[in-house]
Amino acid sequence: MSAVEIEKVAAHWRLRQDEPGWTAQDEAALEAWLAESTLHEVAYVRLDHGWRSIERLNALKGAKPTAQSRRSWRFAPQLLAAGFALTVLGGGLFAGVQTGAIGRSVYATPIGGRQVVPLSDGSRVELNTDSRLRASVRSTHREVWLDRGEAYFEIAHDPSHPFVVHAGDQRVTVLGTRFSVLRQPDGRVRVAVVEGRVRVEPAESRGVSRPAIMTRGDTVIASGVSLLATPKSEARVDAQLGWRDGLLIFDQVSLAEAAGEFNRYNKKRLVITDSAAAAIPIGGRFEAANVETFVRLIREGFRLKVEERGDEIRISS
Amino acid sequence: MVERDALRAWFAREVLPLEPALTRFLRRNWRRESDIPDLRQEVYAKVYDAARAALPHQPKAFVFATARNLLINQAKRARIVSIDLVADLEALNTPFDEPGAHRQLEAREELRRVQAGLDLLPPRCREVVVARRIEGLSQRETAQRLGIGEDTVERQMLNGMRALVDFMLGGSGKLKRGERGRRADRVVTP
Repeated sequence: MSAVEIEKVAAHWRLRQDEPGWTAQDEAALEAWLAESTLHEVAYVRLDHGWRSIERLNALKGAKPTAQSRRSWRFAPQLLAAGFALTVLGGGLFAGVQTGAIGRSVYATPIGGRQVVPLSDGSRVELNTDSRLRASVRSTHREVWLDRGEAYFEIAHDPSHPFVVHAGDQRVTVLGTRFSVLRQPDGRVRVAVVEGRVRVEPAESRGVSRPAIMTRGDTVIASGVSLLATPKSEARVDAQLGWRDGLLIFDQVSLAEAAGEFNRYNKKRLVITDSAAAAIPIGGRFEAANVETFVRLIREGFRLKVEERGDEIRISS
Repeated sequence: MVERDALRAWFAREVLPLEPALTRFLRRNWRRESDIPDLRQEVYAKVYDAARAALPHQPKAFVFATARNLLINQAKRARIVSIDLVADLEALNTPFDEPGAHRQLEAREELRRVQAGLDLLPPRCREVVVARRIEGLSQRETAQRLGIGEDTVERQMLNGMRALVDFMLGGSGKLKRGERGRRADRVVTP
């Protein structure tokens, strides 16, 4: 048999192994085939090895090979479950349907959670992990407060009623657009614009700063009156919104930064114990909720030591 | 004797990553493109058999020495190549660089490659692989979802697996057409 034919037989065996109903007899038959010739054995080992590396596709769940197939595998079931584990404080059960006594609905997500909040004006807010949002949307004004975490906004166009997002010491004002706001633990606020125009300004400007007008592809990080704009990149904005598909998308960030991102989504915390490991550059797409796969990949790929202690995963070189 | 699991792990870790370099080496030194998969397989089998007794200390040098010897023997046996070629092969230097130097790149690269390999598959084949491998559907569920027969699912999976593995190991990731009809004219090695 030619190498190609042997490979086909080996592929057949390897695939059948994953099928339900693989019996001890099947195993014995495979062993017999492997023992027949080293050519069989190496073809099998080669396919098995390559196939295992493809198993890491699990880490790529949600990547987009085609437009049509994308939608169908957008949400991993466990993420959906986490997303529904919403805690509603004070306000109505469903967004914008009712408002509480103080006239504001409050929405919060647990670590690893994600929630879509439809507002009564037709706008839509998606809350990321460990986030809290208060909303006051009426016929006279549209205002929300991002108390913690990150949210993605799709704002219904209404020129007479600007939509205002209060995030820490920043105020973000829009007419109708799509953008995200992240409150970082250090107090800085990151705004990324997918579409339309967004105005970012300090909540209390005291006349020293002018508002920044952002458009599609812009990302700014604001703190007080300081504002850092990164070069326009729609790809970067898309990557920053990977969480909407349950993904973390890294392009050459350090392992320390990647670990920090994972820690936003998981109770199990990654701790990098030395600076050599912390500086390893990481790229790729990962399931936010699947810290185990990420750890396995970096352990195998970078030969790092991994030690689990309770809710902590300690990584060292 | 080396335990089978250890042998397999060693082979996957040390030998298979050499596949792109090995394939290039064979291609450069052998005229008939259609022989390359068989030659490569033969090199793998010889290396694997030798490693059963003891794992070679320098896998890369060992793999290329094996490839070179195989080519020399093939050339002699085939009697169709000139003596010059054989002489060249004997003088041949095998590619050699520091083992493990690129390991850090590999994990990142690997993830990119999986995605790129998937993108290269024909659409139907990709759908089947995604449904089965990523969404974890069974063969039957996949067939129902895509409205195709189970035998088609199986065939597409076989093709997808072979193409993806080839791509992951540095190949083109495309299944060559017409592989089937070529049996008759290949050089059979005992």
